[in-house]
Amino acid sequence: MKKQVDIFTIEIIKNALVAIGEEMFLALKRSSKSPIIYESLDYGIGVTDAKGRLISQGNGIPGFIGTLDAGVQNIIAKFDAKNIYPGDVFILNDPYAGGGTHLSDVCMIRPVFFENELVAWTANKAHWTEIGGKDPGSYSADATEIYQEGLQFPGIKVFEKGIANQALLDLIEVNVRLPEMTLGDLQACAASLKVGEQRFLAVMEKYSRDVTLTAIDKLLEHGDLMVLEKFKTLPKGTFEAEDVIDEDGMGNGPFAVKVKVTITDKLFTLDFTGSSAQAPGPINCTMGVLISAAREVFMGIVQPDAPATDGCFRRLEVICPAGTLLTAQRPAPVSSYFEAMVCAADVTRKALADVLPGIVTAGQFGSVCTMNLSGTMPETNEPYLLVEPLVGGWGAAVGKDGESGQFCVGNGETSNIPIEITEARYGVLVEQYAFNNDSAGAGEFRGGNGVVLDYRILSDNADISSFFGRGITAPWGIDEGAAGSCNYVEVFDQQGNAKARFSRASRYPLKKGDLLRLVTGNGGGWGNPSKRSKADVLNDVKNGFISAQDAQAIYNVK
Amino acid sequence: MTVRVATDVGGTFTDLVYIDEGNVKAVKSDTTPPNFEQGVVNAAIKADINLSEVDFFAHGSTVVINAITERKGVKTGLITTKGFRDVLEIARGNTPDIFNNTYQKPSPFVERHLRLELEERLDYKGNVVTKIKLANLQKLVDYFKSQQVEAIGVCFLHAYLNPEHEIKAVAELKRLWPEVNVIASHEISSEWREYERTSTTVLSAYVLPPTQQYLDKLKHKLRANGLNNDPFIMQSNGGIATLQSARDNPITLVESGPVGGILGAAAYGEVIGDGNIMALDIGGTTAKCSLIHNGETRITTEYVLEKTAKKAGYPIKTPVIDIVEIGNGGGSIAWIDAANSLHVGPESAGSTPGPVAYGRGGSAPTTTDANLITGRINSENFAGGAIQPDISVVEASFDRLAQQLNVTAMDVAHGVLNIANANMVNALKLISVNRGYDPRDFSLMAFGGGGALHATALAQELNARKVIIPPFAGVFSAWGMLMIDLRRDYIQTHRFSINKQSKAAVINAFEAVISKANMDYKNDGIAENKVKHELYVDARYSGQEHTVKIRLPDTELDDSDFICELSERFHTGHQQEYTFRLNDSAIEVVNIHLVAFGILDKAKLEKLPSSTSTNASMALIGKRLVDFDNNTQRAAAIYDREKLQPGMMFKGPAIIEESTTTTVVLPGNRVEVDDFGGLHIYLRD
Repeated sequence: MKKQVDIFTIEIIKNALVAIGEEMFLALKRSSKSPIIYESLDYGIGVTDAKGRLISQGNGIPGFIGTLDAGVQNIIAKFDAKNIYPGDVFILNDPYAGGGTHLSDVCMIRPVFFENELVAWTANKAHWTEIGGKDPGSYSADATEIYQEGLQFPGIKVFEKGIANQALLDLIEVNVRLPEMTLGDLQACAASLKVGEQRFLAVMEKYSRDVTLTAIDKLLEHGDLMVLEKFKTLPKGTFEAEDVIDEDGMGNGPFAVKVKVTITDKLFTLDFTGSSAQAPGPINCTMGVLISAAREVFMGIVQPDAPATDGCFRRLEVICPAGTLLTAQRPAPVSSYFEAMVCAADVTRKALADVLPGIVTAGQFGSVCTMNLSGTMPETNEPYLLVEPLVGGWGAAVGKDGESGQFCVGNGETSNIPIEITEARYGVLVEQYAFNNDSAGAGEFRGGNGVVLDYRILSDNADISSFFGRGITAPWGIDEGAAGSCNYVEVFDQQGNAKARFSRASRYPLKKGDLLRLVTGNGGGWGNPSKRSKADVLNDVKNGFISAQDAQAIYNVK
Repeated sequence: MTVRVATDVGGTFTDLVYIDEGNVKAVKSDTTPPNFEQGVVNAAIKADINLSEVDFFAHGSTVVINAITERKGVKTGLITTKGFRDVLEIARGNTPDIFNNTYQKPSPFVERHLRLELEERLDYKGNVVTKIKLANLQKLVDYFKSQQVEAIGVCFLHAYLNPEHEIKAVAELKRLWPEVNVIASHEISSEWREYERTSTTVLSAYVLPPTQQYLDKLKHKLRANGLNNDPFIMQSNGGIATLQSARDNPITLVESGPVGGILGAAAYGEVIGDGNIMALDIGGTTAKCSLIHNGETRITTEYVLEKTAKKAGYPIKTPVIDIVEIGNGGGSIAWIDAANSLHVGPESAGSTPGPVAYGRGGSAPTTTDANLITGRINSENFAGGAIQPDISVVEASFDRLAQQLNVTAMDVAHGVLNIANANMVNALKLISVNRGYDPRDFSLMAFGGGGALHATALAQELNARKVIIPPFAGVFSAWGMLMIDLRRDYIQTHRFSINKQSKAAVINAFEAVISKANMDYKNDGIAENKVKHELYVDARYSGQEHTVKIRLPDTELDDSDFICELSERFHTGHQQEYTFRLNDSAIEVVNIHLVAFGILDKAKLEKLPSSTSTNASMALIGKRLVDFDNNTQRAAAIYDREKLQPGMMFKGPAIIEESTTTTVVLPGNRVEVDDFGGLHIYLRD
């Protein structure tokens, strides 16, 4: 060993540590049994140091960026170190404690030992298709208490010293609707933690414990330095914005979400004081989720050109009193927590839109727009459950139109389920998957388009629960850009007669032959539409994104 | 005796390798854009080859990938099932750059108004739900004509199961508009996932006319110069195709260039009896690697063009050799970020301005510059002696970084090499360790301009069995093409569960594709007894999505042995790739995969005359100081590769020079020259 570890070796170890998150990410993707994991990539996975500081994370969803480290810290706080053994795996989904979001997102955590010393943790958090509770898919548009939303794991061992806790597995098996899938997810998630452990230990074996720990400190410090560098370019001051969540699925609303953003030379503070009290329906999120939302926005704005580690977030501070719909307390229902989370992130960007043009966009369709469709397969009578978020329109920014047909900002690598797979697995015929041909969101730069997705229901006794936000209040335009449009569900009978229209519903019954139409909105525009270039407007008309009438009426282009 | 020729058109040079009477020779000639075929003929003239005596002519080119990356294909129209024209633009809706709220999706190759719909529908079993309304096609054709569309892609839902509607649509389009170029999804891919298939179809149509024109020009030029047969064309799947079949489905050529070297590695491995190889190709901008296990290359249909960590890219579901590529090559630039961390690549100085040592205005130090000032590359014979580098300028470029980091210029040079090596080690781990293979069971075969410079350090780090630097490492893609056969991959989504009675079902599933393969080869003029089949299935645990490719056991086994063996291969493969097995879980086949080779007659490679002794001193051309590790300069023996003969042996530290590359032999390494001139470097004595 040379007198001192050279700086380049530290670089090499840093790179190796960062690569672990990505490797773990791919391992879980490939071994999962749930489409929501392997297709929608609705999970995050990574490594923390012994104290639970985030070293590396592979992300499908940016919103999980604050959850793994918090989950690990939760376990560290709960368990005496002498009761944590090699081969243990902890399971956690308690939303009110660190690491929890809603019950469907299950966090699994494994300690990593090097020569009998706990040196790191590997952890993942993935959306499991079924975790029990009153509704198929384990989230409800009308739950009033968390007890209706599924099984709660308060940070307990599912494996101890490598041995599965069979009692717990048996308990899970009888409490969920699709036990094979749920237990399969459990196995896949546990296995993927081992991949991270192997990689981490390989680094430590090669470079020694001390050098690796030094490299971890340097890695985190590097994140902080890169963030500080970017602070030089941020606007300083206090910026405020307010927005609403239209309804909670129980007939209540609207609910206010308020933020005051304060940026100084060294601190980025988000204060959500003044937001509404927690809602009776399940649109609440908890403090840990709010911190994740803040981290997501922070990374998008600061763009530190460094991997997301604990070090990147030292300059970020989140304030919000307990008991708001962003900091809900037990037993508030939280299964649609992502609505509050997305709103908190969006309202923060809204506060900064004027001072960060080109970095922040106008309002987006602003909802995960997820739905649970359940029923039976027409031939086999086997039950099916289709859980699917939808793509929609993003807001415009200076210099660019909004993206069309994209999952909600903050949904990361979530990908749609191919129609050919949907039809093979679920009792529906897809009749249309197309842009919505809506001219909303006009502007010099126009908002992106949402979509229309039509499902023909192929068997009786199906039902849908929908969790669409922004059913009443459309996403905002900026600088004279027009507002976007709303998200909604329509149901038609076989003859084409409209039966219902709603944004949030619980178990709305569907018959064989019914047409279920899911529509997502456009993002908001940026800048006065009259400034849009004529060539761009004509091109939009040619491509059917703007009608000829709207071209004339809104853009003054014939 | 036969004369076999292979040509590989690269960005700068067109390589030509030929075998005459079992002896191999190679030349390099300038690439001649836009008339690439001229460069090919020039190379043949330079090699003094009489094309009328050539029995076999293979050709690899970047025409397809260039047409796509330079956006030089033709205006393309798309016809989809009614209701689904936007599938291409919606794509998968994902945002790889996850924190970026101004992310931009890859823009589609066919604008919305050129994506038209036709009434027709199949269900997920391939049954007709709505009959195809061919009468409506006239209107679509009229619109495409009015918009000067030159090529049309057709992609219908569930055509992977039942191509009937696509076949009818293509026939009708050709009837209505005989001049137009049409290609349908089932002609390219029979796997499910409509977005990926549509993307593939669109890109296939987009490159159809320029590729066909190029292939036709090549053929005529070669024929005019005396060639009596059509040239064969290198494909991405690791085989060659007849010119006609490449013309029909040009997207199969998309990675025609890079795979040549990987195949060369597999072919050289076969010649020397080594089936387990990590193939590594280090060029100017990137390093590419691929794993060869038991002589087999890995094929994937999950290829995505222009995909990066921040961009979704364009999926192309054509079989491509599974290659991991990273932005680290000889021209990769070393730079320091705002927090004083040193990085190497992915930005490259390319060939202009190139490394600082080229003296063409490059001021940022590159990997090549680091190899130069540490003495690994001979400054007296840099770039084959074409350039006399100014070492002081190179040192000054490192010095600028050194001052920022408060270390010496040599520290930085070593840092650059170590970081570049670590990046490449990570890439090599992706193809080995991460897929459950132990590098100790593999040889690292390195080629390309930079492979031999880095190979020993990488192999040491990975604990690889040994390093092999093959002969013709500088023209290895072309060399590889000489060694291979015709290859077609037939991948068909076909779902069924494996149970004790499944053997017949498994075998029967292949019946149709086997007869199709035999028919396709018959059309190529290949007799059935020259067609060799390999049968694979992509299988998964019931309920999972991602699959493991496994080769079928001997079909002569009785039912239960066959299924037992098949299941065991699957469980083992799954455990290898994903670290666990579920012995009680049902196994489901998703795709069947037939690899059909059309075996070509090939002359055996002749061994070179052996040296009378193991002593290599006749190849020794000098000594110089080389900085192998920081602060430990060692006197290294310099050998001339051309003078090394089979059977010779020597020890490191040493440098082996040849015109296209330099091999670094570390202290403690031992070199042996094999029967064909390949260098085998054992890391420890």
